[in-house]
Amino acid sequence: MSVADLPSKEANVLKGHEGAVLAARFNGDGNYCLSCGKDRTIRLWNPHRGIHIKTYKSHGREVRDVHVTPDNSKLCSCGGDRQVFYWDVSTGRVIRKFRGHDSEVNAVKFNEYASVVVSAGYDRSLRAWDCRSHSTEPIQIIDTFSDSVMSVCLTKTEIIAGSVDGTVRTFDIRIGREISDNLGQPVNCVSMSNDGNCILASCLDSTLRLLDRSAGEVLQEYKGHTCKSYKMDCCLTNTDAHVTGGSEDGFIFFWDLVDASVVSSFRAHASVVTSVSYHPKDNCMITASVDGTIRVWKT
Amino acid sequence: MDSDEEDYVFFGTPIEREEEITSRKKKSVAEASGNLRSLVPWKQEVRDEEGRRRFHGAFTGGYSAGYYNTVGSKEGWAPQSFTSSRKSRAEVKQQSIFNFLDDDERTEMEGRSLGTSLQFDTFGFTAAEIARKQAEKEQQQRPSAIPGPVPDEIVLPATESIGVKLLLKMGWRHGHSIRDSSVNSQYDARREARKAFLAFSSDDTKAEFAGAEPGKSELENIMEQPANNDAQSSQSTPVYVLNPKQDLHGLGYDPFKHAPEFREKKRSRTSGNRELGSRKAFSIKDNLFTSKSGKVAPGFGIGALEELDDEDEDVYASGFEFEDTYVQEIEEPLRLSMDSKEKLPLRLSIDSKQKLGGKEQGVLPGFKVVSNSEYHLERFDPPVIPKDFVPYHKFPGPLEIDNKRADPPPPEVPPPEDNNLRVLIEGVATLVARCGKLFEDLSREKNQSNPLFCFLTGGDGHEYYTRKLWEERQKHNDHTKQQLDGKSSPSVQKMTAESRGKILGEKPLERSAKDLSSSVASTDVHLQFNLSDTFTNPASFSELLEIAKPFKDDLVKQERFERFLKEKYQGGLRSTDAGGASNMSEAARARERLDFEAAAESIEKAKQGKQSQLSVQQFIEMSATGGLHFTPGGLEPAKVVQDEDLTVKKVYPKREEFQWRPSPILCKRFDLIDPYMGKPPPAPRMRSKMDSLIFTSDFVKATNVEETVTANREPLSVSQSNALGTSIEVADKEIEVTVEVENVERPVDLYKAIFSDDSDDEIEESSLNQVDDPQKKIEAANTTLNRLIAGDFLESLGKELGLEVPPDPPYSTNKAMAPAPQNDTFDANTGDVNILPVEVKPSSMLNAISGTSTSQWVAHSKAYHQQAAQEGRLQEDELIHGNPPRSGSKIVETGFSGNKFGEVKLVKLIQEDRKAKTSSSRHQNQSSGSSSDDERSRKRARQHRHRSSNSDSDSSTDHRDRYHSRSRGKKKRSSREKSSSSRKHSKHRKHRTRDSPSRSSRHGTEKERAEAKREKQK
Repeated sequence: MSVADLPSKEANVLKGHEGAVLAARFNGDGNYCLSCGKDRTIRLWNPHRGIHIKTYKSHGREVRDVHVTPDNSKLCSCGGDRQVFYWDVSTGRVIRKFRGHDSEVNAVKFNEYASVVVSAGYDRSLRAWDCRSHSTEPIQIIDTFSDSVMSVCLTKTEIIAGSVDGTVRTFDIRIGREISDNLGQPVNCVSMSNDGNCILASCLDSTLRLLDRSAGEVLQEYKGHTCKSYKMDCCLTNTDAHVTGGSEDGFIFFWDLVDASVVSSFRAHASVVTSVSYHPKDNCMITASVDGTIRVWKT
Repeated sequence: MDSDEEDYVFFGTPIEREEEITSRKKKSVAEASGNLRSLVPWKQEVRDEEGRRRFHGAFTGGYSAGYYNTVGSKEGWAPQSFTSSRKSRAEVKQQSIFNFLDDDERTEMEGRSLGTSLQFDTFGFTAAEIARKQAEKEQQQRPSAIPGPVPDEIVLPATESIGVKLLLKMGWRHGHSIRDSSVNSQYDARREARKAFLAFSSDDTKAEFAGAEPGKSELENIMEQPANNDAQSSQSTPVYVLNPKQDLHGLGYDPFKHAPEFREKKRSRTSGNRELGSRKAFSIKDNLFTSKSGKVAPGFGIGALEELDDEDEDVYASGFEFEDTYVQEIEEPLRLSMDSKEKLPLRLSIDSKQKLGGKEQGVLPGFKVVSNSEYHLERFDPPVIPKDFVPYHKFPGPLEIDNKRADPPPPEVPPPEDNNLRVLIEGVATLVARCGKLFEDLSREKNQSNPLFCFLTGGDGHEYYTRKLWEERQKHNDHTKQQLDGKSSPSVQKMTAESRGKILGEKPLERSAKDLSSSVASTDVHLQFNLSDTFTNPASFSELLEIAKPFKDDLVKQERFERFLKEKYQGGLRSTDAGGASNMSEAARARERLDFEAAAESIEKAKQGKQSQLSVQQFIEMSATGGLHFTPGGLEPAKVVQDEDLTVKKVYPKREEFQWRPSPILCKRFDLIDPYMGKPPPAPRMRSKMDSLIFTSDFVKATNVEETVTANREPLSVSQSNALGTSIEVADKEIEVTVEVENVERPVDLYKAIFSDDSDDEIEESSLNQVDDPQKKIEAANTTLNRLIAGDFLESLGKELGLEVPPDPPYSTNKAMAPAPQNDTFDANTGDVNILPVEVKPSSMLNAISGTSTSQWVAHSKAYHQQAAQEGRLQEDELIHGNPPRSGSKIVETGFSGNKFGEVKLVKLIQEDRKAKTSSSRHQNQSSGSSSDDERSRKRARQHRHRSSNSDSDSSTDHRDRYHSRSRGKKKRSSREKSSSSRKHSKHRKHRTRDSPSRSSRHGTEKERAEAKREKQK
């Protein structure tokens, strides 16, 4: 995949959020995207056509993260109201609210079977919520973190979370082990490589670090952008050839995965790029920003 | 009440609790009617006609004496039923009078049976009793080939009777004949002794008889007759103890048959590890046996019991006599020697005298013990001290040790011939040395009468004992000294070459320690070290120093380093110069020391590798780059920072692995096999108090029930809903307090205990709410009062926990007050009992308190309105959209919190722009307030909770909701719909109450925290 294939042309601008957009995510097949923001709403878009489909309102405070099940039937979202909302996509109603976090919830993810929601909170804990039963108590609380947990990733067998205490912790359910990789810098965001072998961790020292999951070594560090105080996303491209991430000055950066050189960078937003999400198959990317817009980028 | 109370003078009037009296009367009546029969026995109380309990006296059980105030046993007076012992003979119980006696009666009985105390145990009965018990105990402990209890006849008291004691005091010893210049007195003494021995038991006499027999046979021997007789009688002192069969030889086989002396050896060896004192007692008797068997053995094939029992000897009586005479011949000279020994009583060991025929232990028959043994402890004379020696010592240890050591050693004494005695003496000496003089005194006191321990008081072996004691003390001191030395190891080698030279009168060198400080003067140092080589052996130091200049850039430090090296390899005066860098802190010094240590090590290594210069260089580099952490802190700050940077790089990423236990349900949901399946669940997580104070507790989570529109959900457990109801109730009282108290995870039962009465009332009321009777109102007023009290209680509880509790009683009255304006509308709705089961109650409460609280209500509602305006923005959303989850309760609560946190909230977020809108919508709501009730009921029927009513009605419905949930907690609802709706409300409410105050405060701190974090990272 060459540099030219990287999405750099603005295909659509999704406007509708009042105030900052805090996260934008593709759904499982990449046909739709979800965004959430400070206006306490979650919005469903068709990014390819630039259409706003639905708005989900129930959160009492800003919505910080949203995730959709692989079958697109359910949503989960979280935010400043310390609750995790479990939505029905089609009706737009809240099926369940998971209360229990003692403060804001930073990130939320479904597991593979959409049976569990794992949320990461400012209260230094990860909580797993059961979507199948009617219980609203967390089925697992992981509170080994010593600071706010910023981001969470799930694999089939593991829960991976990054925390401001500088650790990326992998909880392997299969073997019952917790592996803590201390990076020494507050971790903003963790995202998995598509092959599942690496973790990309965005640290608050304006560095993205690529970790080898099996050995816990830092394989590469990606620098050039600014990331010092905002929760900002980063991700790998669908081919795992490049690393992408936003910057606080509104730029988007592309790095070569292997030699860590900045392959491409351009100004995408007027303000902080809070979230980037790469299309699972195509060369397409959406970025969200504090300026209230979501932009769709294609080659 | 009781007659004995009249004897006392009372001040004031005693508070007689009415209910107590009445209940007592009631109880007595009930008992009379036999109602109490159904009670469990331990709850039944025996009372007289007037209902008073029987009091047995304070020291005999009080009210609860006997078996629940009855006979003393569960069976009462019922005699034991007959049980056939045919099948279980061992288990048959002997019935005795004691089976039918109370404890106190038994003690009385025992008190009546007189027994001689040991002190006055003239004839040894008590001793015999004790000995029997002791033997039984031992029998149980000891392994024995023959099971079963010891026959009583075999066991005999081990204590001497008073006669023996008297004899002992008079100077008589066991095994001696009581001999005096006059034959008459001697006979008297003998008679005395006999009498004493007769007292023991019939067996004794038998034994004595057996013992006397050989004496008879010796009657021919004219010269020895009386003495011998005496000796025999004393020897026959039946101090036998069963010797259990502990070996694995066949019954009757005696491995020492032809070599009895080995038996002694073996016994002493095996018993060596037993306790000293008891062993002694045995060994005496053992000796007795050995000697006997020694006599008997050659004649017959003797059973194992032979040596144990006198009866056996009777069986072979004729043979025995023969044996005896035979032995007697041999022992004739021995006896003589024994007599001669008696003239030197100090030299004689007790044991040897006790032996029949005066056989010495460890001495082959026919041999005689040498009077002065050739065995000496090998000792070397101390080195001769030169006359002009000036003692110059500094001892690191405490002084008292020295004092003890300064005692002149007692003269060396050969150990007593008796092995046992020697061992005993040595053991006691060791103990005394270890435990101090006190032990000696104690044991002396205890064993005053025991002839074995006469060495303590100056009897046999005293000299040996003193010598031994001294030795042990010496040893002990050495040991402690070593320990002390180990502790103060650096100060041990205080004597340097200089001081030693001084002491030895050598001419001191001009340059001594100071030379070390200058890095130039290595040659001088060399000289000095050459000198010191003669004393110590600094293997590598001189060479080391030549190459060791790792701190060239810092002369002072280099100097310190050299001094350190010197200390390390040579030893020297350290404490004096250690303060050389007195300006350094303790930590810095420690670090420097580590630094030096590392440097020295690397130097040594370098020397070994023959590449001195290089590796020192390496070391310096290493320490510079932070490979070692011993970089000097204060001196090179820049470097340190750099080091840290580098180390950070090296350290991170740091991988650690921990055990983590996923919950089984999580594994299930992830479709994985629980790795901890089958293993016991982990111990409940320890939550510190602080933790639970900061974060909401699990209990809170447990009651967090989500609010959804779906009706199909599992009913909550009753307990949970109880918790719900009660906690909500409390929340109404004082929100702050509730939060705190619940966070500490007070058991729900506490609340139940406090509030159970009024919730019960509510149930009643809810069932009777249509009927307006005045009694209920009174009760309701009572409950309100109760709540107020409870509120106070909670407040004090909060204070106790050190938490800030806003004094808020007016609020609670407010709450009671709140539904007031709404009551009318409810009355209109009374037809719908299902929905509004308890609304009468608030009104009654209102009646009770209305006088006091109206003004407060006004004041409060102001703040409340203000807050409601803020909160309205949320409502606005709900009005627009289909499923608003907000309830009016929220408004109330946030209104409350707004009292305290309103300002915080005002600043927050985006709500400024919303204010105008919300207020308008609020007005709109208020206008539609009166009609909202119908709407509400309709909506509730649909299980939707649209709260579009105005503030007043909201608060009241909120109240109603509360009562809903509370009463629901107590009784099972038949209607599913209802339960779900009420649960919804309560849930909601609960969450709000808990959240609203803490959240706003938390936000403030969070913001700050985030800011701080940000600052740090910049």
